[in-house]
Amino acid sequence: MVNCGLHLVIQTSSLPEKNKVEFKLHKETPSFPGRLLQHDLERNYSSRQGDHINLVSSSMPSFPILQRSSEEKILYSDRLTLERQKLTVCPIIDGEEHLRLLNFQHNFITRIQNISNLQRLIFLDLYDNQIEEISGLSTLRSLRVLLLGKNRIKKISNLENLKSLDVLDLHGNQISKIENVSHLCDLRVLNLARNLLSHVDNLNGLDSLTELNLRHNQITFVRDVDNLPCLQRLFLSFNNISTFESVCCLADSTSLSDITFDGNPIAQESWYKHTILQNMMQLRQLDMKRITEEERRMASVIAKKEEEKKRESQKQSLLKEKKRLTINNVARKWDLQQHRVTSIAANQDRKDSDSPSQDPCQVDGSTISAFPEETGSLDSALSNALQGLSVTDTHLVEVDGDTLSLYGSGALESLDRNWSVQTAGMVTTVSFTFIEFDEIVQVLPKLKIKFPNSLHLKFKETNLVMLQQFNALAQLRRIDQLTIDPQGNPVVSFTLWKYYVLFRLSHFSMQKINGTEVTQNDMIMAERLFGILAHVASSELPQYRLISILGDARKKQFRYLLETKGKKPGVVSEENNDSKRLVGENTNRATLNYTTRDFYNEKLEEIKEKKKFCKMYIEDLVKEATEINMKNEALQKLWPQMFIELVRDAVIEIRNKSSYMKLCLQQITDQK
Amino acid sequence: MATERAGTWLPEAGKLELGSCCGPRMLSPERLALTDYEYLAQRHVLTYMEDAVCQLLENKEDISQYGIARFFTEYFNSVCQGTHILFREFSFIQATPHNRASFLRAFWRCFRTVGKNGDLLTMKEYHCLLQLLCPDFPLELTQKAARIVLMDDAMDCLMSFSDFLFAFQIQFYYSEFLESVAAIYQDLLSGKNPNTVIVPTSSSGQHRQRPALGEASMLEGVEASLFYQCLENLCDRHKYSCPPPALVKEVLSNVQRLTFYGFLVALSKHHGINQALGALPDKGDLMHDPAMDEELERLLAQVPGLVNSVTASSEASCLPSRTPPRVGSPWRPLHHARKVDAESDGSTEETDESET
Repeated sequence: MVNCGLHLVIQTSSLPEKNKVEFKLHKETPSFPGRLLQHDLERNYSSRQGDHINLVSSSMPSFPILQRSSEEKILYSDRLTLERQKLTVCPIIDGEEHLRLLNFQHNFITRIQNISNLQRLIFLDLYDNQIEEISGLSTLRSLRVLLLGKNRIKKISNLENLKSLDVLDLHGNQISKIENVSHLCDLRVLNLARNLLSHVDNLNGLDSLTELNLRHNQITFVRDVDNLPCLQRLFLSFNNISTFESVCCLADSTSLSDITFDGNPIAQESWYKHTILQNMMQLRQLDMKRITEEERRMASVIAKKEEEKKRESQKQSLLKEKKRLTINNVARKWDLQQHRVTSIAANQDRKDSDSPSQDPCQVDGSTISAFPEETGSLDSALSNALQGLSVTDTHLVEVDGDTLSLYGSGALESLDRNWSVQTAGMVTTVSFTFIEFDEIVQVLPKLKIKFPNSLHLKFKETNLVMLQQFNALAQLRRIDQLTIDPQGNPVVSFTLWKYYVLFRLSHFSMQKINGTEVTQNDMIMAERLFGILAHVASSELPQYRLISILGDARKKQFRYLLETKGKKPGVVSEENNDSKRLVGENTNRATLNYTTRDFYNEKLEEIKEKKKFCKMYIEDLVKEATEINMKNEALQKLWPQMFIELVRDAVIEIRNKSSYMKLCLQQITDQK
Repeated sequence: MATERAGTWLPEAGKLELGSCCGPRMLSPERLALTDYEYLAQRHVLTYMEDAVCQLLENKEDISQYGIARFFTEYFNSVCQGTHILFREFSFIQATPHNRASFLRAFWRCFRTVGKNGDLLTMKEYHCLLQLLCPDFPLELTQKAARIVLMDDAMDCLMSFSDFLFAFQIQFYYSEFLESVAAIYQDLLSGKNPNTVIVPTSSSGQHRQRPALGEASMLEGVEASLFYQCLENLCDRHKYSCPPPALVKEVLSNVQRLTFYGFLVALSKHHGINQALGALPDKGDLMHDPAMDEELERLLAQVPGLVNSVTASSEASCLPSRTPPRVGSPWRPLHHARKVDAESDGSTEETDESET
């Protein structure tokens, strides 16, 4: 208490040594703000000074005239206490021009009057009265302590001549604004607690102010405090300060050593203490507690952390923004692409825009995609993100917990990457957005190997338009859940699509489709609708076709493996078994497979070539055959006649037997 | 390498085909009017021969394992049964009337259950079903078929299976004929002398225009008798399949005037034409296929087990259950049903001979 109190000594040269007025101004305690000061003062005087005062009605109608006995005058020549006298007006104090101290505590005075003649007054106490306006003080030039606590004052005014005021107590009034005090250059203590102040400013000129009490107001911001060169103690408890920014001028005050903020919203914040400590290095006491070195160190550590956190969150939000922009970009590209497919007019643009945009997507995108497992590369990813904010990326890969999200067709290349076993094993959901389904089909074998635990596939904006496209999913290891977003997947509008999926992927025993549980009835319905198709497909196809179709499916599955073959023979053989098992599981629907448009067209092209050859070949063959046939027919026609002619010739030849014999013998001898 | 090896096999193939198909028909009068080659082409024998060789080339590794003779047997058996068009490319499916009829029949057999379930589907969904059997089936054909059912507008309306199927049958089977009819109809509408009309081959799109307003408001369509004369004329000259003229006459004799789509609707609903085509059963029996229903029941019985023991049942379903009797009687099943269809091709000897 003594430490923090203000030791005020009022001394005038003419005053005898023993009559030195000595009192202490104590800082109020939270429970009785402002009062303590009064009581201390009160005690000081009442103990020494008797209550021997006579109030005599004056000749003037309303003012009583005060007269003291001469001995009292001698004893307390410089002080007068009129405490609790039920005064409604100031009495006329006659013949007391030498008074230095006047006490009107606890009366009903409404107006300060009749004291202008007390020009040597140093101390005036009007605590607990009903004064509505500061007035009648203009002649009291030597007044140093003015106590006006617990009155009805609305405005600080009429203090112009009180240039030597040292203590001004205005607590417990109705003041809403600090004003008319800039001339009080000697003022050391200003108490404005329990008023109606909404903010603090206009403090210029109070060059000696060391203590400012502003408790229990409605202050939301504080200004000008950095213009108070001597201010040491500032009490701002129980106000409405919620941000440090609203009191940031405090940080610029070099003299401030003691401050309170308790009872403000700001004091509830987690960052409160260390922010204050960090910003106000000069403080020695905060909220009545001494600040230790340890606390200060902690504050700086926390502040540093806070700073880091802020940077981190900035980073995060930057990344998030980056992600959003990238997705937008991908979406725009996708829309453009989708539109292009249908409109011929835009064909020209396509050629122009396609070629340049394809290249950066591969180079740029692969570095930017954020991989949580590579924490070390986060910084480089960020710096890339910063540079790349112009958004040239055409795809995005993201791993969030158990979900792998791929945006844009370029993202499919990420499946070629070497994923850590842990990440790959964790991923159970793979979501595709803004990617042609046909492109996805081509990487399904890779997906199967790289993310063996993926059970839930999500498709959004992937151009799923045909039931047969679902056939492609049959080659995966397992699917528990399938989510096809209606956006960009027209197939979902079909009534039969779910049943077809269930039918074609029945070997997975799927649990959910688009979030809806699959029931036994669904399975039966699926079989009822499409069972015959499978039956026809498996039992009525000629054997060679069956082999070739199943072979195609198997070949397709191995295409990827063949590409990467030679490195891990073990994996290949294992995969081999796996796919055999797979094909075996549903031979009767394995014939229902899906070839992507491009691949199919390629195949058709091939077939066309073969057809052309076959056509020519058959044409030649048939021509040859028909020719042979014609010759044969001609021969058949001629043959009877020829035969007759031959026989006739023979008969004619042997008609003359003797000459024929001679001829024969002649021939035999000639041969010898 | 490939061609060389194929080449060594081929003479055999040629002989097989020639011997079995063209030999016994030497006395046919039409046969005498054409050269051998033309005749074979007209009867689509060449198409199948070419396709057989093509298939052989395609799968030569697999086929060489179980014998070329076996392959040809299977190929021509499946042609007879109509199963050769399953999952084939569209260009092949539409190549011959027999292929078209087989495709229609396959479509009906595979998706009869969808119709039985009572689902009404959109044109796009039917198209998807078609694509399950023929991956490159063109959307245009499906659209045209849907237009017959839905009359031009409201193309995304729902259709019943039977409505779509019968409309699709007409559109698919007689698509070239209908193109020509559309052109004639258009000429009649614009008042040209129809008898001088040269049959256009590819004027698709024209017929989609509605008749000019003035005419349409007074009298819609064209006069039936005049229209018939033109069609009769067309049938005589047309090289693609046409509906039997007698039946066309029957369709047109019931009305005074009719529109192009009115004509198509009447064609699609005419059960005589359906019979003549021979691919689909009568409308009343459309949902009726006892053999397949039995098969389906067998499959359904497996479903609960399928859910619980996928691996256990895998051995059983590993070998597809083939139906041997079909192989035993190669020519019968479809030709029996397609008796009238053969007539529409322009000659009757084929069926006569195979049955006597």
